[in-house]
Amino acid sequence: MAEKPQAVRVLYCGICGLPAEYCEFGPDFEKCKPWLRRHAPDLYPDLLLKEENETDADKAARQLQSVAISGSGDGDSSSAPSGSASASKQDEVKRLPGGKIKKKEKQEVVIEKIVRNKRKCVTVVKGLELFGIKLSDASKKLGKKFATGASVVKGPTEKEQIDVQGDIAYDIVEFITETWPAVPETAIFFIEDGRKVAAA
Amino acid sequence: MFKKFSLEDISAQNQVKASVQRKIRQSIADEYPGLEPLLDDILPKKVPLIVTKCQNHLNLVVVNNVPLFFNIRDGPYMPTLRLLHQYPDIMKKFQVDRGAIKFVLSGANIMCPGLTSPGGALNEEVLEETPVAIMAEGKQHALAIGYTKLSAKDIKTINKGIGVDNMHYLNDGLWKMERLE
Ligand SMILES: [Zn+2]
Repeated sequence: MAEKPQAVRVLYCGICGLPAEYCEFGPDFEKCKPWLRRHAPDLYPDLLLKEENETDADKAARQLQSVAISGSGDGDSSSAPSGSASASKQDEVKRLPGGKIKKKEKQEVVIEKIVRNKRKCVTVVKGLELFGIKLSDASKKLGKKFATGASVVKGPTEKEQIDVQGDIAYDIVEFITETWPAVPETAIFFIEDGRKVAAA
Repeated sequence: MFKKFSLEDISAQNQVKASVQRKIRQSIADEYPGLEPLLDDILPKKVPLIVTKCQNHLNLVVVNNVPLFFNIRDGPYMPTLRLLHQYPDIMKKFQVDRGAIKFVLSGANIMCPGLTSPGGALNEEVLEETPVAIMAEGKQHALAIGYTKLSAKDIKTINKGIGVDNMHYLNDGLWKMERLE
């Protein structure tokens, strides 16, 4: 009898579930990229490199913008990037409590419903820790409130997030704002069809 | 075949008799000799074998809620992609060129030119009506399970039309049904 072959361990993407090498042909490559950068950087060297450059450019743009804000004696407003999008960006930068500007993380809670196997789904809550909330506490409270399983897990990036079993996305905003008044409703967002939508 | 496939498509689910279980094991062992040393791990004798009957004369062989093989009527058993990924050498392999990947992943059957172009590859021993693993140019793992319409030799000489039927591919309904629950 032939020797027993060892099972091959395939790296499946944590986002789309395909073998990581097929993410580029998957339903949403953009969404997979952060995960791939962390878990399979060797598979997509070009794209990831390009991405990094882009974010560098982003950073540079943001720095320019904040410079513009701090030196905001008008006159050169014509040089400001066009459109309302940039205006709202400035808003957000201003709103941050003192000194936190250099921390490029925006203080917001992001809620996303992820459907697994058609009928099962998980509601992912990200960003509570940015409001000084202890995630383990929050996870317990969420589990209790919605009578379901909730746990703190490492997300696709190194950040921790809370996974709550079931679709609770639409009851969760009220619960968050009532339980943790530090979180304003305006700082809560949903991911819907890959787009970020304000809850308020 | 599994383009749209979900639990609702399963019409009956039966634990099979020991004799049938033996028969299924035997035909799988005959079809995939490379799997023989693994059969006790993959289809443990003590664990009940479930055969679910689905539409279009499709059967799934399920162990511990995990679909492992499928066949049509009395046709040859074919492994699910998740099983094949673990034991890639149990099947003969064809390879499609990179350009064909997105078509295969949308469920299209495999056209001869995608196999005969510089990025493609054929195992010359393969005859018609044979299960094959469909690999892809530049990729390590299979993206589909195919059932040949033409032999490898005919695919080469005829070189047009469908060469292999696409039975099961990444992200189809069977792929998403990681477990039956
Ligand atoms: Zn992916």
